[in-house]
Amino acid sequence: MKGYEGIVLTCPVSLGYAKQSPHGASWFVGSVLRELIHTAGIDKQQVDGFAVSSFSLGIDSAVSLTQHFGIRPRWIEQANMGGVSGIVALRRAARAVQCGEAAIVACIGGDGAAHRSFEATAANFSSWSVDAAFPYGAGGPNAAFSLITQHYMDKFGARRDDFARIALDQRYNANHYPQALLGPKRLSINDYMDARPIAGPLHLFDCVMPCAGGEGFLVMHEDRAKQLDLPYCHIRASDELHNSYADDPVQYRSGWIEYMPALYERANVGPENIDILQTYDDYPVISMMQMEDLGFCNKGEGPSFVQNTDMRFDKSGRAANKLPHNTCGGQLSCGQAGSAAGYLGITETIRQLTKRAGRNQVADARHGLVSGYGMVNYDRGLCSAAVLLSGAGV
Amino acid sequence: MNLREKMQRRLKLSWPSLRARARPPKKRSPLGVQFTAANLPTVLALPCCNDCGHVQYPPTELCGHCLGDALAYRSVPTEGTVLATTRLHHSLSEYFKRRLTQTPWIMGSIKLDAGPVVLAHIADDELQAGDRVNVFSHTDASQQAVLIATAHSTDTSTAALRRDIVSAMALDVPAPKDGGL
Repeated sequence: MKGYEGIVLTCPVSLGYAKQSPHGASWFVGSVLRELIHTAGIDKQQVDGFAVSSFSLGIDSAVSLTQHFGIRPRWIEQANMGGVSGIVALRRAARAVQCGEAAIVACIGGDGAAHRSFEATAANFSSWSVDAAFPYGAGGPNAAFSLITQHYMDKFGARRDDFARIALDQRYNANHYPQALLGPKRLSINDYMDARPIAGPLHLFDCVMPCAGGEGFLVMHEDRAKQLDLPYCHIRASDELHNSYADDPVQYRSGWIEYMPALYERANVGPENIDILQTYDDYPVISMMQMEDLGFCNKGEGPSFVQNTDMRFDKSGRAANKLPHNTCGGQLSCGQAGSAAGYLGITETIRQLTKRAGRNQVADARHGLVSGYGMVNYDRGLCSAAVLLSGAGV
Repeated sequence: MNLREKMQRRLKLSWPSLRARARPPKKRSPLGVQFTAANLPTVLALPCCNDCGHVQYPPTELCGHCLGDALAYRSVPTEGTVLATTRLHHSLSEYFKRRLTQTPWIMGSIKLDAGPVVLAHIADDELQAGDRVNVFSHTDASQQAVLIATAHSTDTSTAALRRDIVSAMALDVPAPKDGGL
Protein backbone atom coordinates (compact mmCIF):
# COMPACT_ATOMS: atom_id res chain seq x y z
CA MET A 1 0.00 0.00 0.00
CA LYS A 2 1.27 3.43 -0.93
CA GLY A 3 2.24 5.67 1.98
CA TYR A 4 0.95 9.11 2.93
CA GLU A 5 4.27 10.98 2.76
CA GLY A 6 3.89 14.74 2.68
CA ILE A 7 0.20 14.73 3.69
CA VAL A 8 -0.53 16.30 7.08
CA LEU A 9 -3.42 16.89 9.47
CA THR A 10 -3.88 20.27 11.07
CA CYS A 11 -6.34 22.65 12.78
CA PRO A 12 -8.22 20.28 15.11
CA VAL A 13 -11.58 21.76 16.13
CA SER A 14 -14.02 20.45 18.75
CA LEU A 15 -17.06 22.53 19.64
CA GLY A 16 -20.63 22.79 20.77
CA TYR A 17 -20.86 19.81 23.14
CA ALA A 18 -24.30 19.85 24.82
CA LYS A 19 -26.70 17.27 26.23
CA GLN A 20 -29.48 18.76 24.16
CA SER A 21 -29.34 21.42 21.52
CA PRO A 22 -31.83 23.49 19.55
CA HIS A 23 -29.40 23.45 16.61
CA GLY A 24 -29.50 20.99 13.73
CA ALA A 25 -26.60 19.04 12.25
CA SER A 26 -25.83 21.72 9.64
CA TRP A 27 -25.21 24.23 12.45
CA PHE A 28 -22.57 21.96 13.94
CA VAL A 29 -20.93 21.12 10.60
CA GLY A 30 -20.97 24.77 9.51
CA SER A 31 -19.65 26.04 12.83
CA VAL A 32 -16.75 23.60 12.66
CA LEU A 33 -16.05 24.80 9.09
CA ARG A 34 -16.04 28.42 10.29
CA GLU A 35 -13.59 27.58 13.08
CA LEU A 36 -11.40 25.61 10.67
CA ILE A 37 -10.96 28.48 8.20
CA HIS A 38 -10.58 30.94 11.07
CA THR A 39 -7.87 28.81 12.69
CA ALA A 40 -6.09 28.23 9.39
CA GLY A 41 -6.38 31.87 8.38
CA ILE A 42 -7.67 31.00 4.93
CA ASP A 43 -10.64 32.08 2.84
CA LYS A 44 -13.49 29.58 2.72
CA GLN A 45 -13.11 29.23 -1.05
CA GLN A 46 -9.65 27.80 -0.45
CA VAL A 47 -11.34 24.76 1.07
CA ASP A 48 -11.77 22.79 -2.15
CA GLY A 49 -12.44 19.41 -0.53
CA PHE A 50 -15.32 18.72 1.84
CA ALA A 51 -15.87 15.48 3.76
CA VAL A 52 -18.88 15.28 6.05
CA SER A 53 -20.20 12.70 8.50
CA SER A 54 -23.53 13.10 10.25
CA PHE A 55 -26.46 10.93 11.30
CA SER A 56 -28.93 13.78 11.69
CA LEU A 57 -28.73 15.62 8.36
CA GLY A 58 -32.06 13.99 7.50
CA ILE A 59 -33.02 14.76 3.92
CA ASP A 60 -29.93 16.92 3.43
CA SER A 61 -26.55 15.65 2.30
CA ALA A 62 -22.99 16.91 2.05
CA VAL A 63 -24.00 18.45 -1.27
CA SER A 64 -26.87 20.43 0.28
CA LEU A 65 -24.42 21.82 2.81
CA THR A 66 -22.20 23.31 0.10
CA GLN A 67 -25.10 25.60 -0.83
CA HIS A 68 -25.87 26.35 2.84
CA PHE A 69 -22.28 27.41 3.44
CA GLY A 70 -21.53 28.97 0.08
CA ILE A 71 -18.51 26.81 -0.65
CA ARG A 72 -17.43 25.43 -4.02
CA PRO A 73 -15.55 22.16 -3.44
CA ARG A 74 -14.21 20.16 -6.36
CA TRP A 75 -14.00 17.04 -4.20
CA ILE A 76 -16.73 15.83 -1.82
CA GLU A 77 -17.22 12.82 0.41
CA GLN A 78 -19.98 11.74 2.76
CA ALA A 79 -18.67 9.13 5.17
CA ASN A 80 -21.60 8.05 7.32
CA MET A 81 -19.94 5.17 9.09
CA GLY A 82 -20.40 6.12 12.71
CA GLY A 83 -17.32 5.23 14.69
CA VAL A 84 -14.99 4.90 11.71
CA SER A 85 -16.28 7.94 9.82
CA GLY A 86 -13.40 10.15 10.99
CA ILE A 87 -10.68 7.73 9.94
CA VAL A 88 -12.45 6.90 6.69
CA ALA A 89 -12.82 10.61 5.85
CA LEU A 90 -9.16 11.13 6.72
CA ARG A 91 -8.05 8.27 4.48
CA ARG A 92 -10.13 9.41 1.50
CA ALA A 93 -9.09 13.04 1.98
CA ALA A 94 -5.40 12.18 2.24
CA ARG A 95 -5.54 10.28 -1.07
CA ALA A 96 -7.42 13.16 -2.71
CA VAL A 97 -4.73 15.63 -1.65
CA GLN A 98 -1.99 13.19 -2.63
CA CYS A 99 -3.50 12.77 -6.11
CA GLY A 100 -4.06 16.49 -6.55
CA GLU A 101 -7.85 16.25 -6.63
CA ALA A 102 -8.06 18.78 -3.80
CA ALA A 103 -5.57 21.03 -2.03
CA ILE A 104 -7.25 21.60 1.33
CA VAL A 105 -9.89 19.16 2.55
CA ALA A 106 -12.10 19.96 5.54
CA CYS A 107 -13.15 16.74 7.31
CA ILE A 108 -16.09 17.42 9.60
CA GLY A 109 -18.33 15.28 11.78
CA GLY A 110 -21.28 16.89 13.51
CA ASP A 111 -24.64 15.95 14.94
CA GLY A 112 -27.37 17.74 16.79
CA ALA A 113 -29.27 16.31 19.75
CA ALA A 114 -32.89 17.39 19.68
CA HIS A 115 -35.07 16.22 22.56
CA ARG A 116 -35.58 12.45 22.24
CA SER A 117 -33.89 12.34 18.83
CA PHE A 118 -31.69 9.48 20.01
CA GLU A 119 -34.77 7.25 20.30
CA ALA A 120 -35.62 7.94 16.67
CA THR A 121 -32.05 7.23 15.53
CA ALA A 122 -31.92 3.97 17.47
CA ALA A 123 -35.35 2.85 16.23
CA ASN A 124 -34.38 3.47 12.57
CA PHE A 125 -30.69 2.62 12.59
CA SER A 126 -30.77 -0.01 9.83
CA SER A 127 -33.31 -2.28 8.16
CA TRP A 128 -31.92 -5.33 9.98
CA SER A 129 -32.14 -3.50 13.24
CA VAL A 130 -35.73 -2.42 12.52
CA ASP A 131 -36.79 -5.97 11.59
CA ALA A 132 -34.79 -8.12 13.95
CA ALA A 133 -33.18 -6.20 16.82
CA PHE A 134 -35.23 -3.20 17.95
CA PRO A 135 -38.51 -5.15 18.53
CA TYR A 136 -36.72 -7.28 21.15
CA GLY A 137 -36.87 -4.92 24.10
CA ALA A 138 -35.93 -1.75 22.21
CA GLY A 139 -32.73 -1.52 24.19
CA GLY A 140 -30.91 0.20 21.33
CA PRO A 141 -27.12 -0.17 21.33
CA ASN A 142 -27.15 -1.03 25.04
CA ALA A 143 -28.88 -4.36 24.32
CA ALA A 144 -26.50 -5.34 21.50
CA PHE A 145 -23.43 -4.43 23.53
CA SER A 146 -24.66 -6.07 26.72
CA LEU A 147 -24.75 -9.36 24.77
CA ILE A 148 -21.22 -8.74 23.47
CA THR A 149 -20.02 -7.75 26.95
CA GLN A 150 -21.66 -10.75 28.62
CA HIS A 151 -20.11 -13.10 26.06
CA TYR A 152 -16.68 -11.51 26.52
CA MET A 153 -16.97 -11.84 30.31
CA ASP A 154 -17.98 -15.51 29.98
CA LYS A 155 -15.25 -16.28 27.47
CA PHE A 156 -12.29 -14.47 29.01
CA GLY A 157 -13.29 -14.05 32.66
CA ALA A 158 -13.44 -10.26 32.53
CA ARG A 159 -15.15 -8.61 35.50
CA ARG A 160 -16.85 -5.30 36.04
CA ASP A 161 -13.86 -3.90 37.93
CA ASP A 162 -11.74 -4.49 34.81
CA PHE A 163 -14.10 -2.34 32.75
CA ALA A 164 -14.03 0.18 35.59
CA ARG A 165 -10.30 0.74 34.99
CA ILE A 166 -11.07 2.12 31.53
CA ALA A 167 -14.00 4.28 32.64
CA LEU A 168 -12.22 5.68 35.69
CA ASP A 169 -8.96 6.63 33.97
CA GLN A 170 -10.90 8.23 31.15
CA ARG A 171 -12.91 10.26 33.63
CA TYR A 172 -9.67 11.43 35.19
CA ASN A 173 -8.54 12.59 31.75
CA ALA A 174 -11.89 14.29 31.17
CA ASN A 175 -11.49 16.15 34.48
CA HIS A 176 -8.66 18.00 32.68
CA TYR A 177 -10.45 18.58 29.36
CA PRO A 178 -12.86 21.52 29.46
CA GLN A 179 -15.22 20.39 26.68
CA ALA A 180 -16.04 17.01 28.25
CA LEU A 181 -19.69 17.10 29.34
CA LEU A 182 -18.98 14.85 32.33
CA GLY A 183 -15.57 16.44 32.94
CA PRO A 184 -16.71 18.54 35.92
CA LYS A 185 -17.75 15.36 37.75
CA ARG A 186 -15.39 12.93 39.40
CA LEU A 187 -16.00 9.19 39.19
CA SER A 188 -14.93 6.79 41.93
CA ILE A 189 -14.84 3.01 41.83
CA ASN A 190 -17.81 2.97 44.20
CA ASP A 191 -19.80 5.30 41.93
CA TYR A 192 -19.02 2.97 39.05
CA MET A 193 -19.86 -0.30 40.80
CA ASP A 194 -23.03 1.05 42.45
CA ALA A 195 -24.39 2.72 39.32
CA ARG A 196 -27.87 1.81 38.21
CA PRO A 197 -28.13 -1.24 35.96
CA ILE A 198 -28.95 -0.61 32.29
CA ALA A 199 -28.70 -3.93 30.46
CA GLY A 200 -27.16 -7.15 31.75
CA PRO A 201 -23.58 -6.41 32.86
CA LEU A 202 -23.77 -2.81 31.59
CA HIS A 203 -24.39 -0.16 34.20
CA LEU A 204 -24.74 3.59 33.85
CA PHE A 205 -21.03 4.45 33.50
CA ASP A 206 -20.46 1.78 30.85
CA CYS A 207 -22.79 3.64 28.52
CA VAL A 208 -22.01 6.77 26.55
CA MET A 209 -24.29 9.76 26.81
CA PRO A 210 -25.72 10.80 23.44
CA CYS A 211 -25.11 14.51 22.91
CA ALA A 212 -24.64 17.23 20.31
CA GLY A 213 -21.25 18.37 19.08
CA GLY A 214 -18.93 18.90 16.16
CA GLU A 215 -15.37 17.83 15.38
CA GLY A 216 -13.17 18.55 12.41
CA PHE A 217 -9.69 18.99 10.99
CA LEU A 218 -7.95 19.96 7.76
CA VAL A 219 -5.96 17.69 5.46
CA MET A 220 -3.34 19.32 3.22
CA HIS A 221 0.22 19.07 1.89
CA GLU A 222 3.00 19.61 4.38
CA ASP A 223 4.32 22.50 2.28
CA ARG A 224 0.96 24.24 2.44
CA ALA A 225 0.80 23.82 6.22
CA LYS A 226 4.29 25.30 6.56
CA GLN A 227 3.33 28.16 4.27
CA LEU A 228 0.27 28.88 6.45
CA ASP A 229 2.44 28.46 9.57
CA LEU A 230 0.14 25.79 11.01
CA PRO A 231 1.26 23.12 13.48
CA TYR A 232 0.60 19.69 12.00
CA CYS A 233 1.13 15.97 12.35
CA HIS A 234 1.93 13.24 9.84
CA ILE A 235 -0.07 10.19 8.75
CA ARG A 236 2.30 7.24 9.15
CA ALA A 237 -0.02 4.41 8.12
CA SER A 238 -3.69 3.53 8.07
CA ASP A 239 -6.05 0.74 7.14
CA GLU A 240 -9.67 -0.39 7.40
CA LEU A 241 -11.65 -3.63 7.10
CA HIS A 242 -15.38 -4.18 7.29
CA ASN A 243 -17.58 -7.15 8.21
CA SER A 244 -14.56 -9.25 9.20
CA TYR A 245 -14.97 -12.48 11.19
CA ALA A 246 -18.61 -12.66 10.13
CA ASP A 247 -18.72 -16.31 11.22
CA ASP A 248 -18.03 -15.56 14.89
CA PRO A 249 -21.46 -16.11 16.50
CA VAL A 250 -20.76 -13.25 18.94
CA GLN A 251 -18.19 -10.57 18.25
CA TYR A 252 -15.02 -10.67 20.33
CA ARG A 253 -12.51 -9.49 17.71
CA SER A 254 -12.52 -7.43 14.54
CA GLY A 255 -10.54 -6.51 11.45
CA TRP A 256 -7.55 -4.91 13.21
CA ILE A 257 -6.06 -8.37 13.81
CA GLU A 258 -5.68 -8.81 10.08
CA TYR A 259 -4.02 -5.55 9.12
CA MET A 260 -2.27 -4.21 12.20
CA PRO A 261 1.00 -6.22 11.80
CA ALA A 262 1.42 -4.86 8.26
CA LEU A 263 0.36 -1.38 9.37
CA TYR A 264 3.02 -1.28 12.10
CA GLU A 265 5.56 -2.50 9.59
CA ARG A 266 4.68 0.22 7.07
CA ALA A 267 4.88 2.82 9.84
CA ASN A 268 8.14 1.39 11.14
CA VAL A 269 6.62 1.77 14.60
CA GLY A 270 5.39 -0.96 16.96
CA PRO A 271 2.81 -0.99 19.76
CA GLU A 272 5.66 -0.47 22.24
CA ASN A 273 6.43 2.93 20.60
CA ILE A 274 2.88 4.26 20.86
CA ASP A 275 2.69 7.19 23.28
CA ILE A 276 -1.06 7.79 23.02
CA LEU A 277 -3.87 5.38 22.21
CA GLN A 278 -7.34 6.60 21.28
CA THR A 279 -9.85 3.79 20.94
CA TYR A 280 -13.51 4.01 20.04
CA ASP A 281 -15.04 3.62 23.48
CA ASP A 282 -18.78 3.32 22.98
CA TYR A 283 -18.56 0.65 25.70
CA PRO A 284 -15.47 -0.31 27.74
CA VAL A 285 -15.47 -3.85 26.36
CA ILE A 286 -14.96 -2.44 22.88
CA SER A 287 -11.91 -0.47 24.03
CA MET A 288 -10.57 -3.64 25.61
CA MET A 289 -11.16 -5.56 22.39
CA GLN A 290 -9.24 -2.88 20.48
CA MET A 291 -6.29 -3.00 22.90
CA GLU A 292 -6.04 -6.72 22.18
CA ASP A 293 -6.56 -6.53 18.44
CA LEU A 294 -4.22 -3.55 18.02
CA GLY A 295 -1.45 -5.63 19.54
CA PHE A 296 -1.04 -4.13 23.01
CA CYS A 297 -1.77 -7.52 24.56
CA ASN A 298 -2.89 -10.96 23.45
CA LYS A 299 -6.51 -11.92 22.87
CA GLY A 300 -8.21 -12.51 26.19
CA GLU A 301 -5.55 -10.64 28.17
CA GLY A 302 -7.38 -7.32 27.99
CA PRO A 303 -8.64 -7.53 31.60
CA SER A 304 -5.16 -8.08 33.08
CA PHE A 305 -3.70 -5.51 30.67
CA VAL A 306 -5.99 -2.73 31.89
CA GLN A 307 -5.39 -3.74 35.51
CA ASN A 308 -1.64 -3.41 34.99
CA THR A 309 -1.73 -0.28 32.83
CA ASP A 310 -2.08 3.33 33.86
CA MET A 311 -4.21 4.99 31.19
CA ARG A 312 -4.14 8.53 32.63
CA PHE A 313 -2.76 11.29 30.40
CA ASP A 314 -0.26 12.44 33.07
CA LYS A 315 0.82 8.90 34.01
CA SER A 316 -0.11 9.60 37.64
CA GLY A 317 -1.81 6.25 38.21
CA ARG A 318 -0.42 3.44 40.31
CA ALA A 319 0.10 0.81 37.61
CA ALA A 320 3.65 0.38 36.30
CA ASN A 321 2.88 0.15 32.59
CA LYS A 322 1.96 3.56 31.14
CA LEU A 323 -0.29 4.09 28.12
CA PRO A 324 -2.27 7.35 27.98
CA HIS A 325 -5.62 6.25 26.57
CA ASN A 326 -8.50 8.41 25.35
CA THR A 327 -6.71 11.43 26.69
CA CYS A 328 -9.69 13.81 26.55
CA GLY A 329 -11.98 11.35 28.30
CA GLY A 330 -13.32 9.64 25.20
CA GLN A 331 -17.01 9.40 24.53
CA LEU A 332 -17.64 7.84 27.92
CA SER A 333 -16.83 11.18 29.52
CA CYS A 334 -17.17 13.72 26.68
CA GLY A 335 -20.49 12.37 25.39
CA GLN A 336 -21.18 10.69 22.06
CA ALA A 337 -21.89 13.42 19.55
CA GLY A 338 -23.22 11.12 16.83
CA SER A 339 -20.79 10.92 13.92
CA ALA A 340 -18.47 13.46 15.55
CA ALA A 341 -17.58 10.72 18.03
CA GLY A 342 -15.71 9.00 15.19
CA TYR A 343 -13.57 12.16 14.83
CA LEU A 344 -12.90 12.73 18.53
CA GLY A 345 -9.82 10.49 18.70
CA ILE A 346 -8.28 12.16 15.64
CA THR A 347 -8.77 15.77 16.72
CA GLU A 348 -7.51 14.96 20.21
CA THR A 349 -4.42 13.22 18.81
CA ILE A 350 -3.63 16.15 16.53
CA ARG A 351 -3.86 18.47 19.57
CA GLN A 352 -1.60 16.16 21.55
CA LEU A 353 1.04 15.67 18.84
CA THR A 354 1.18 19.39 18.08
CA LYS A 355 1.51 20.12 21.84
CA ARG A 356 -1.69 22.15 21.92
CA ALA A 357 -3.84 19.98 24.15
CA GLY A 358 -3.90 22.29 27.15
CA ARG A 359 -4.32 20.89 30.66
CA ASN A 360 -4.52 17.28 29.46
CA GLN A 361 -1.30 17.47 27.41
CA VAL A 362 0.65 14.21 27.39
CA ALA A 363 4.35 14.97 27.88
CA ASP A 364 6.69 13.96 25.03
CA ALA A 365 4.02 12.39 22.82
CA ARG A 366 5.49 11.40 19.46
CA HIS A 367 3.30 8.62 18.07
CA GLY A 368 -0.46 8.38 18.48
CA LEU A 369 -2.66 5.49 17.39
CA VAL A 370 -6.34 6.15 16.71
CA SER A 371 -8.76 3.35 16.08
CA GLY A 372 -12.36 3.38 15.00
CA TYR A 373 -15.16 0.85 15.33
CA GLY A 374 -18.76 1.12 14.44
CA MET A 375 -22.08 0.62 12.76
CA VAL A 376 -24.13 -1.96 14.62
CA ASN A 377 -26.19 -3.07 11.67
CA TYR A 378 -27.69 -5.98 13.62
CA ASP A 379 -25.75 -7.72 16.37
CA ARG A 380 -22.20 -6.32 16.06
CA GLY A 381 -20.12 -3.39 14.88
CA LEU A 382 -19.12 -4.04 11.29
CA CYS A 383 -16.39 -1.48 10.70
CA SER A 384 -12.83 -1.36 11.95
CA ALA A 385 -10.22 1.23 11.04
CA ALA A 386 -6.95 2.53 12.43
CA VAL A 387 -4.55 5.36 11.72
CA LEU A 388 -1.10 5.93 13.15
CA LEU A 389 -0.12 9.59 13.47
CA SER A 390 3.26 11.10 14.30
CA GLY A 391 4.27 14.58 15.38
CA ALA A 392 6.19 16.82 13.00
CA GLY A 393 9.89 16.05 12.90
CA VAL A 394 9.48 12.52 14.30
CA MET B 1 -33.48 30.61 33.42
CA ASN B 2 -33.44 30.04 37.18
CA LEU B 3 -33.23 26.62 38.75
CA ARG B 4 -36.97 26.29 39.28
CA GLU B 5 -37.76 27.10 35.66
CA LYS B 6 -35.01 24.80 34.56
CA MET B 7 -36.42 21.90 36.57
CA GLN B 8 -39.94 22.59 35.31
CA ARG B 9 -38.71 22.58 31.76
CA ARG B 10 -36.78 19.38 32.30
CA LEU B 11 -39.90 17.76 33.77
CA LYS B 12 -41.95 18.90 30.82
CA LEU B 13 -39.45 17.49 28.33
CA SER B 14 -39.30 14.18 30.12
CA TRP B 15 -43.06 13.89 30.55
CA PRO B 16 -43.97 10.21 30.41
CA SER B 17 -46.26 8.96 27.69
CA LEU B 18 -49.95 9.36 28.50
CA ARG B 19 -51.01 6.62 26.11
CA ALA B 20 -53.49 4.30 27.83
CA ARG B 21 -52.14 1.29 25.94
CA ALA B 22 -48.58 1.05 24.69
CA ARG B 23 -47.64 -1.60 22.14
CA PRO B 24 -44.27 -3.06 21.17
CA PRO B 25 -42.39 -1.54 18.21
CA LYS B 26 -44.60 -2.07 15.17
CA LYS B 27 -42.34 -0.70 12.48
CA ARG B 28 -40.87 -3.22 10.03
CA SER B 29 -39.26 -2.97 6.61
CA PRO B 30 -41.25 -4.51 3.73
CA LEU B 31 -39.11 -7.64 4.21
CA GLY B 32 -40.03 -7.70 7.90
CA VAL B 33 -43.71 -7.56 6.96
CA GLN B 34 -43.15 -10.56 4.67
CA PHE B 35 -41.50 -12.34 7.58
CA THR B 36 -44.59 -11.78 9.69
CA ALA B 37 -46.89 -13.03 6.92
CA ALA B 38 -44.77 -16.12 6.25
CA ASN B 39 -44.69 -17.03 9.93
CA LEU B 40 -48.46 -16.85 10.54
CA PRO B 41 -49.16 -20.48 9.55
CA THR B 42 -46.03 -22.10 10.93
CA VAL B 43 -43.75 -22.41 13.95
CA LEU B 44 -40.63 -20.90 12.44
CA ALA B 45 -40.12 -20.00 8.77
CA LEU B 46 -37.03 -18.28 7.41
CA PRO B 47 -36.02 -17.32 3.86
CA CYS B 48 -33.98 -20.18 2.37
CA CYS B 49 -31.96 -20.03 -0.84
CA ASN B 50 -33.22 -22.40 -3.54
CA ASP B 51 -29.79 -22.48 -5.13
CA CYS B 52 -27.38 -23.05 -2.24
CA GLY B 53 -29.69 -23.79 0.69
CA HIS B 54 -28.31 -20.95 2.86
CA VAL B 55 -30.80 -19.84 5.55
CA GLN B 56 -31.14 -16.07 5.94
CA TYR B 57 -31.90 -14.01 9.01
CA PRO B 58 -32.69 -11.13 9.34
CA PRO B 59 -34.86 -11.37 6.19
CA THR B 60 -33.09 -10.30 3.01
CA GLU B 61 -33.90 -10.02 -0.68
CA LEU B 62 -30.79 -11.80 -1.87
CA CYS B 63 -28.97 -14.83 -0.51
CA GLY B 64 -26.18 -13.62 1.77
CA HIS B 65 -24.00 -16.52 0.62
CA CYS B 66 -24.41 -16.86 -3.16
CA LEU B 67 -26.26 -13.57 -3.90
CA GLY B 68 -28.98 -15.53 -5.71
CA ASP B 69 -32.50 -14.14 -5.63
CA ALA B 70 -34.36 -17.45 -5.49
CA LEU B 71 -35.38 -17.19 -1.82
CA ALA B 72 -38.43 -18.90 -0.37
CA TYR B 73 -39.78 -19.07 3.15
CA ARG B 74 -39.48 -22.62 4.49
CA SER B 75 -40.01 -24.15 7.90
CA VAL B 76 -36.66 -24.62 9.61
CA PRO B 77 -35.71 -26.63 12.74
CA THR B 78 -36.47 -24.67 15.90
CA GLU B 79 -33.51 -25.92 17.92
CA GLY B 80 -30.65 -23.64 18.81
CA THR B 81 -28.07 -22.76 21.45
CA VAL B 82 -28.05 -19.64 23.60
CA LEU B 83 -25.04 -17.40 22.90
CA ALA B 84 -25.78 -14.70 25.48
CA THR B 85 -28.73 -13.33 27.39
CA THR B 86 -29.30 -9.93 28.91
CA ARG B 87 -31.70 -8.38 31.37
CA LEU B 88 -32.86 -4.99 30.13
CA HIS B 89 -33.43 -2.42 32.88
CA HIS B 90 -33.86 0.37 30.36
CA SER B 91 -35.69 0.64 27.07
CA LEU B 92 -36.40 3.27 24.43
CA SER B 93 -39.93 1.98 23.80
CA GLU B 94 -42.86 2.94 25.99
CA TYR B 95 -44.20 -0.63 25.90
CA PHE B 96 -41.02 -2.12 27.31
CA LYS B 97 -40.53 0.79 29.71
CA ARG B 98 -43.84 -0.20 31.30
CA ARG B 99 -43.08 -3.92 31.15
CA LEU B 100 -39.75 -3.63 32.91
CA THR B 101 -40.79 -1.43 35.84
CA GLN B 102 -41.20 -4.52 38.05
CA THR B 103 -38.74 -7.04 36.62
CA PRO B 104 -36.14 -6.58 33.88
CA TRP B 105 -37.04 -7.69 30.36
CA ILE B 106 -34.97 -10.65 29.17
CA MET B 107 -33.74 -11.05 25.60
CA GLY B 108 -30.82 -12.85 24.09
CA SER B 109 -28.98 -14.07 21.04
CA ILE B 110 -29.35 -17.66 19.85
CA LYS B 111 -27.40 -19.61 17.26
CA LEU B 112 -29.99 -21.66 15.39
CA ASP B 113 -28.97 -25.13 14.25
CA ALA B 114 -30.30 -23.99 10.86
CA GLY B 115 -27.42 -21.47 10.69
CA PRO B 116 -28.25 -17.87 11.50
CA VAL B 117 -27.92 -15.99 14.78
CA VAL B 118 -31.28 -14.61 15.94
CA LEU B 119 -32.22 -12.17 18.68
CA ALA B 120 -35.26 -13.32 20.64
CA HIS B 121 -37.37 -12.69 23.69
CA ILE B 122 -36.39 -15.20 26.38
CA ALA B 123 -39.33 -16.95 28.04
CA ASP B 124 -37.42 -18.71 30.85
CA ASP B 125 -35.41 -16.46 33.11
CA GLU B 126 -32.96 -19.23 34.01
CA LEU B 127 -31.66 -19.67 30.47
CA GLN B 128 -27.99 -18.84 30.00
CA ALA B 129 -25.20 -19.18 27.47
CA GLY B 130 -24.75 -22.73 26.18
CA ASP B 131 -28.30 -23.89 26.99
CA ARG B 132 -30.29 -25.64 24.28
CA VAL B 133 -33.51 -23.88 23.32
CA ASN B 134 -36.46 -23.96 20.99
CA VAL B 135 -37.13 -20.79 19.05
CA PHE B 136 -40.60 -20.15 17.67
CA SER B 137 -42.32 -17.18 16.10
CA HIS B 138 -45.51 -15.63 17.43
CA THR B 139 -47.57 -12.52 16.83
CA ASP B 140 -47.14 -9.80 19.45
CA ALA B 141 -49.52 -7.04 20.52
CA SER B 142 -48.52 -5.01 17.44
CA GLN B 143 -49.55 -7.88 15.14
CA GLN B 144 -45.96 -8.47 14.06
CA ALA B 145 -44.09 -11.76 14.28
CA VAL B 146 -41.40 -11.90 16.94
CA LEU B 147 -39.14 -14.77 17.97
CA ILE B 148 -39.37 -16.37 21.41
CA ALA B 149 -36.86 -18.77 22.92
CA THR B 150 -37.84 -21.37 25.52
CA ALA B 151 -35.89 -24.08 27.30
CA HIS B 152 -35.49 -27.15 25.12
CA SER B 153 -37.53 -29.20 27.60
CA THR B 154 -40.56 -26.89 27.24
CA ASP B 155 -43.24 -28.33 25.01
CA THR B 156 -43.92 -25.97 22.11
CA SER B 157 -45.47 -28.51 19.77
CA THR B 158 -48.95 -27.00 19.47
CA ALA B 159 -50.18 -23.49 18.75
CA ALA B 160 -52.10 -23.47 22.05
CA LEU B 161 -48.96 -24.24 24.05
CA ARG B 162 -47.02 -21.52 22.25
CA ARG B 163 -49.82 -19.04 22.82
CA ASP B 164 -49.76 -19.84 26.55
CA ILE B 165 -46.05 -19.06 26.70
CA VAL B 166 -46.60 -15.74 24.93
CA SER B 167 -49.55 -14.92 27.20
CA ALA B 168 -47.47 -15.66 30.28
CA MET B 169 -44.98 -13.07 29.01
CA ALA B 170 -47.91 -10.68 28.33
CA LEU B 171 -46.41 -10.07 24.89
CA ASP B 172 -49.80 -10.42 23.20
CA VAL B 173 -51.48 -7.59 25.11
CA PRO B 174 -50.68 -3.86 25.25
CA ALA B 175 -49.01 -2.46 28.34
CA PRO B 176 -51.57 -0.34 30.21
CA LYS B 177 -50.74 2.96 31.84
CA ASP B 178 -50.35 2.52 35.59
CA GLY B 179 -52.53 4.68 37.81
CA GLY B 180 -54.78 5.99 35.07
CA LEU B 181 -54.52 9.32 33.29
